[in-house]
Amino acid sequence: MLDRRNFLKMAAALSAAFGVQGMPAPVAAALKKLDPGAVPKLIYLQGLSCTGCSISLLQAESPSPLAMITDYSQLAFHADLSAISGKKALDLIERYISGNAGEYFLAVEGAIPEKIPEACLIGHKTFAQYLEEAAKTMTGAVAVGACACDGGIPAAEGNLTGAIGLKEFYGKRGIKKLIVNIRGCSVHPDWVWHTIIHLVKVGVPELVNDAPKLFYSRKVHELCPRYHDFQQEIFAKKLGDKGCLFKLGCLGPDTYADCPTRWWNGGRTWCIDSNAPCIGCASPTFARKKNIPFYRINEKPVTNG
Amino acid sequence: MKIDLGPVTRIEGHLNVRTTVENGVVTDAQCMSEMFRGFEVFLQGRDPLDAQQITQRICGVCPYAHAIASSYAQEKAYKLNVPPNGRILHNLIQGANHLYDYLLHFYQLSALDFVDVTAILSYTGRDADLLKVKQWVKAELDRNKPFPAAPFLPRLEGKYLADRDLNIGALKHYLEAMELQKKANRAAAIFGGKFPHSTGIFPGGCTQEARIDLIVAYQSLLSEVRQFIHDKYIPDVTAVAMAFPEYWRIGASKGGFLSFGLLPLTPALDSKRLLAPGVLFDGQVSPVDLAKISQDVKYSKYSSPSRLPVRDSALTPAPHKEGAYSWAKAPRYAGKVVEVGPAARILIDYQQGHNPMVRDLVNKFAALAGITTANLNSVLGRHLARAINAAVIADFLLAETERLEHGGPTMANLAVPQSGEGYGITEASRGALLHYLRMENQKIAKYECVVPTTWNASPRDDQGQPGAMESALIGTRVENAEEQIESVRIVHSFDPCIACAVH
Repeated sequence: MLDRRNFLKMAAALSAAFGVQGMPAPVAAALKKLDPGAVPKLIYLQGLSCTGCSISLLQAESPSPLAMITDYSQLAFHADLSAISGKKALDLIERYISGNAGEYFLAVEGAIPEKIPEACLIGHKTFAQYLEEAAKTMTGAVAVGACACDGGIPAAEGNLTGAIGLKEFYGKRGIKKLIVNIRGCSVHPDWVWHTIIHLVKVGVPELVNDAPKLFYSRKVHELCPRYHDFQQEIFAKKLGDKGCLFKLGCLGPDTYADCPTRWWNGGRTWCIDSNAPCIGCASPTFARKKNIPFYRINEKPVTNG
Repeated sequence: MKIDLGPVTRIEGHLNVRTTVENGVVTDAQCMSEMFRGFEVFLQGRDPLDAQQITQRICGVCPYAHAIASSYAQEKAYKLNVPPNGRILHNLIQGANHLYDYLLHFYQLSALDFVDVTAILSYTGRDADLLKVKQWVKAELDRNKPFPAAPFLPRLEGKYLADRDLNIGALKHYLEAMELQKKANRAAAIFGGKFPHSTGIFPGGCTQEARIDLIVAYQSLLSEVRQFIHDKYIPDVTAVAMAFPEYWRIGASKGGFLSFGLLPLTPALDSKRLLAPGVLFDGQVSPVDLAKISQDVKYSKYSSPSRLPVRDSALTPAPHKEGAYSWAKAPRYAGKVVEVGPAARILIDYQQGHNPMVRDLVNKFAALAGITTANLNSVLGRHLARAINAAVIADFLLAETERLEHGGPTMANLAVPQSGEGYGITEASRGALLHYLRMENQKIAKYECVVPTTWNASPRDDQGQPGAMESALIGTRVENAEEQIESVRIVHSFDPCIACAVH
């Protein structure tokens, strides 16, 4: 039997044998860290947001959140993670936004209060001012989540702030910049991180409605494992039932997203697998209208004539 | 000298703290919440069943707490009979969310206040994760780039942990906590559908089944989290406490404490809870009376009337209102300032001799650190109270899983009446959370949320009394008036969430 000393010697020899030098070139390439000069610096700013997208980004599996903010991007600023605060934090943001710290991508989480700009401040400036200034220096922007893309919940009917998404905000000001929309309330971490990997390794991914086709080309309903139930007219009658959730108000037929194949929280679960109807959180009109509730449980029967 | 500490980072949202410093002491502090969305306005006229979805978007850090508070309010308004499984699943979902939040708060949000990141450069061990971080930090510092090793550097000036091994151990746990918080959330999402923003939580229960494979998966994830709490989290909190004992006396708030009680022990919402509710003034705990809560707006950016009770609340934004400095309202209990959160939960439960595990843990750590329960009202007290909450909740959740009836109903029969009203009260990780719903014609006529950070980060009230966090800052001695790491540590100990505070 191998004693401990010999085991350690053998382990050391084995690990040397598998050192980088002896590897086939493609393996070494796959393991090699990206050139830090080639990965984008990210300035991550939040507007009218709940931080849910940031929290979702921390739920990523492969690569891990840490690898994403050190190896595949350089997270220069994020209000939830940055050690620095106060004036020095503002100086850091300012140096990037003024174009004095090199190229950067802007990541935006949250909507912009167009009617009450003072409803969102970072330091002594409005969020809107930062976005206007960044437009002159940034390489492009990633709109993270429903609020940054289309206004999201803060833009729900009857809101007082005039909340809008980044694309509309820049559109109104005649600013044309690359904006990649990652819809969802919250986003799935893969949707954002894998888009950034695309940007780093092969360039801008193919977009449809400004969103990466890879994640948003098919409807939840089309991909749904309960599509068969829909075809067979096996419908859930009340919450908690199995079967197609369409009659409870499921918005899968109106929502482009790959949740049914991607699943959430490390692939453990997703809404419909837990018998919960899709509420269309990746749709541009998510939660927009009062007369389109998430569920059809309180719906009055329609009478024809 | 007036110094703005904002933007305060490693919290949720847009917070500035305007301090006045004289002779190295903070003589005044104003907590300025700088983001407003107006949830209570756009909720009006919606289907009441939209509420537990919409209100989760108040906060993506503790969305489940909002879903639960909204569900409780709706259960009252609909007069639902909740099956035992329904309540247990609510508890399993909400409790696991607390555990993730405590880990995230201590490691990702607070650790960098105490731990010296640069200690990694002197690491000589063989741990692959730490070596990777060491190489990364070294490469960053060697490259001629602006702001190397962001977001972990630059940092505020101050005294950090000196012991190399403690620093490196804490950094290793920072990395591990990143993985563990995911496991707590994955456990919650098994029954909640997904995290953040659950689609599976409803008034009366949740849509997922109480199936044995799901229950065991939850148990497995939770056991790992529980192990980490005992083996790493609690020892790390203790190590920080030993290295910074002065923080047992820094950051005391000057009012009372309020807790709505956490995790009901039976399906009835009025039943006993794992952590007991109460309001604590001058060492005396009284039962909570919701009618005593009102919200002042003299210093808040609203033109609507001040001092309104919850059910009559109003919200008219006035961004340029004279003298107003925050979008947060100033909630008060019987006109008095209270602190809410982990320390409030522990103090109120302990004072009533309610939960034996709370009593034992408090006594144990008080003896270890040479403190009394009064010291729980401090920076370290809040950190320790979170760790005690975590230990108590983790054990309770594992026990709850054994009480589930495999295959039994997990949802009440949902029938929404034309009109009704209800208060839903629970504890988010950050403290006492209240949702109030009134319905007319099966639509939301009034919705009001009084949220933990609204209490803690409130501006002055109509009488001019500073809010809990403001009062904790006033009187603090600071080394470097420009940066005030001491004040930032106080703010972080409250774990403020501005999206919650204003909503």
